[in-house]
Amino acid sequence: MNVMAHYRFNLHNSIGFVPDEEGRELAGLDEARAEAVKGVRSLVAEDALQGCIDLRGKLEVVDEGGAIVLTVLFGDAVEVLS
Amino acid sequence: MIDHFLLKLRARDEIPPDEEEAIRAMFTEVIEVPADKTIVRAGKELDFSTLLLDGLLCRFKDLRDGSRQISELHVAGDFADLHSFSLKHLDHSVMALTRCRLAIAPHDRIQAVIRAHPHLGRMFWFMTNLDAAIHREWVLSLGRRSALGRTAHLFCELRLRLGLVGLADETGYKLNLTQIDLAECLGLTSVHVNRVLKELRERGLVEFRGGRVTIHDLPGLERAAEFDPAYLYLERRPR
Repeated sequence: MNVMAHYRFNLHNSIGFVPDEEGRELAGLDEARAEAVKGVRSLVAEDALQGCIDLRGKLEVVDEGGAIVLTVLFGDAVEVLS
Repeated sequence: MIDHFLLKLRARDEIPPDEEEAIRAMFTEVIEVPADKTIVRAGKELDFSTLLLDGLLCRFKDLRDGSRQISELHVAGDFADLHSFSLKHLDHSVMALTRCRLAIAPHDRIQAVIRAHPHLGRMFWFMTNLDAAIHREWVLSLGRRSALGRTAHLFCELRLRLGLVGLADETGYKLNLTQIDLAECLGLTSVHVNRVLKELRERGLVEFRGGRVTIHDLPGLERAAEFDPAYLYLERRPR
């Protein structure tokens, strides 16, 4: 069974470091990963609307103790075909 | 108890003392609910409407995967579901986003008030029309405004609506919402909301932190939002 845990999603990208001061309760690392991927995709989608996609960012998932438990690179969250 | 509601009504029309008395007598009880409590569940038969006295409520609909869209926020002085008077049950649910104090108005009492005071019947109709106008503005936001524009717009809207009932001024207001709540209003992810909030802060427009919205540049914020308060029908006139 999954135990709820608190995760924060800190963003590093072209506009700098955006710490997540609130975080959220999720049922384990798999949910945190899914949430992180969804978050990154939403940022890339907005970038696409503005006409420039920058895949150099990353989203770090940090647990309650401050340890980075997961890093999602923007480039890994979307598949790019060209 | 219903002072916020009266302020909201009187911003749109005169409410003489006898009508005020009738409104006061419309409510049978006051209850308190904790944050995250669903107070009206979609589909449930209703024989009363709920006035929000303190706190924040939302109307929402959701999908099977749990994703939720909030379609309106309610502030003190708003009826959460005056439309249940004629609809009898709702197609959406209503949830407390913070601890809330609510006043209950049984539909038969609302009916009696409308019979005795047709003007109040029209004012209640106005209130449900106003909710519909707010929904249309949110459709415009969700469909057409940029992430930054729609976030700015929500902050502008709440400043005016809270200001009407004395809970906001030019510099800002208390807003006890999480970024997840905001994301569900704005059709964004909370990661995206976080980035947008940083952008709004860095542009010197507005700051949302620790349950408070601090407005640094109101004209700038309204420009970023393309905010036009016409949809809130703020004129005081006979209705």
